[in-house]
Amino acid sequence: MVTEPTPPPDGDTYFLNMGPQHPSMHGVLRLLLELRGEQIVSAEPIIGYAHRAHEKMAENRNYLMFLPNTSRIDYLSGMIYNFAWCEAMERMNGIEVPERALYIRTIAAELNRISSHLLWFGTFLLDLGGVTPFLYCFDDREAILDLLDTVTGSRLTYCYGRFGGVTMDVDATFVAGTHAFLARLRDRLPDYKRLVRDNPIFRERCEGVGAIGPEVAFDYGVTGPCLRAAGVAYDVRRAEPYCIYDRFEFDIPTASNGDSLDRFDVRVREIEESARIIDQALAGLPEGPIMPAKPKKRFKPAAGELYYAVESARGHFGTYVVSDGSETPVRVKLRTPSFSNLSSMPEVLRDTMIADTIAIVGSVDVVMPEIDR
Amino acid sequence: MSDEVTVTEAAYQGPAADLGLAFVAADFALTGFHWRVAAQPAELPGLAERFRRARYSLEMQTAEDRRPDLGVLRLVTTFARFAVVGDRAGVDRHMVVVDLEPGATAPSLCGHYPAANWMEREIFDMFGVHFTGHPDLKRILLPDDSDFHALLKDFGRMDGTGTEHGASAEAAHGD
Repeated sequence: MVTEPTPPPDGDTYFLNMGPQHPSMHGVLRLLLELRGEQIVSAEPIIGYAHRAHEKMAENRNYLMFLPNTSRIDYLSGMIYNFAWCEAMERMNGIEVPERALYIRTIAAELNRISSHLLWFGTFLLDLGGVTPFLYCFDDREAILDLLDTVTGSRLTYCYGRFGGVTMDVDATFVAGTHAFLARLRDRLPDYKRLVRDNPIFRERCEGVGAIGPEVAFDYGVTGPCLRAAGVAYDVRRAEPYCIYDRFEFDIPTASNGDSLDRFDVRVREIEESARIIDQALAGLPEGPIMPAKPKKRFKPAAGELYYAVESARGHFGTYVVSDGSETPVRVKLRTPSFSNLSSMPEVLRDTMIADTIAIVGSVDVVMPEIDR
Repeated sequence: MSDEVTVTEAAYQGPAADLGLAFVAADFALTGFHWRVAAQPAELPGLAERFRRARYSLEMQTAEDRRPDLGVLRLVTTFARFAVVGDRAGVDRHMVVVDLEPGATAPSLCGHYPAANWMEREIFDMFGVHFTGHPDLKRILLPDDSDFHALLKDFGRMDGTGTEHGASAEAAHGD
């Protein structure tokens, strides 16, 4: 039995910088922690180290030229961001997307979501001191990267979408490879449960740690698995279905405590739900073109505003575009989920122990380039 | 967008109906929001209070530098609520547009939504808009010692052209 350390008297606090180069901190996040003993009195996330001015770049180039930027916003689920920009542009320009391309997009986006969750799974366990799961998860993730590589030509920063479709068609090899991957993944998930979820050390580190309740989530605009772990069944794919998500059957996994363990459970179940969606999309994949017969070459959307939301691997990603009728946007705002999720940390980390900080921040699954943009 | 339908105030039944603002219905399939309203800066807190009471989230706050074409800095705020009834879900999104004279301040929404804290800091950082009542208005993405607001149009372009100042520190604006 470990005895609780005796905290020093009131007022006796000190500051500790965790990050931006801390080995367990996710990317270049700096947490300025005020501590009393090992207890966090206040925590301030300091961000901006990976700011690349994506929104400024968007104003300096035409709509099509901004496309490669999109998968660099969140490099772990770049496919979803890439398609979000394409779909926003298709809406603004009134472009019809062929059925086959919509199915391919769904398959690619959900594969990307699984790979993002797998990477999180592995690195989260690594943060907690479990090295083995990392190797298994990366092995599985590697299979996805290989699959997507064959059709997109990239492994991470995909630029697979085009305004009106996708760049390359999928072939029978890809379809068979995806089936094989899903079968293998479903075989692996029970192993993960035995190896990780049933492990008492893992549960001790996560259970009741870093709870984000529905009220805090509402206050700060927390979305994605963090919100669903708090019991709120909000998923953009269901709330305002985009692409063809209204055609598929899938559940929105939720939990009730909102702690690190619940966030873990929700993500693992989301992997299964994504696999379900991919199964249905593969079964329904129609023949046909992947781009409109006569793709437009210049894009001049009518003057106006558009808000386009998608469910990224981390939550509600909104693209706000203002057009003045020219070839260059007046303004592009990228409302990224990790930004809002991280903004709740001062509230969530207060009065927790410093040893739990990594478990809490890790379980929120922040991607710094997405926050800093 | 162009095919917006102007409706009478009475037709709007949303949470901010009692404010008497001219809400305009938008085609969600084209714009991604259901209602759009142009408000005065002083009307923002009242709107936020009503949306919060009706359980709308503060989804996004941002700004546009519309000085070249409209002569204003435009604040854009979206409030959204989603409801789940059985297996069906739906979203209701309001867009609030507030035009500020260059140099004017805006009231902070931090008292209504903690989410506003970081979003308003970002607007201050990128556009130099001051929010009165913000507990800790400071830069968030750009370096603390920056003397510019990068998303203003006269800051220049990424390649350093497009303005008489170029992308130099002299392009500082706002504060």
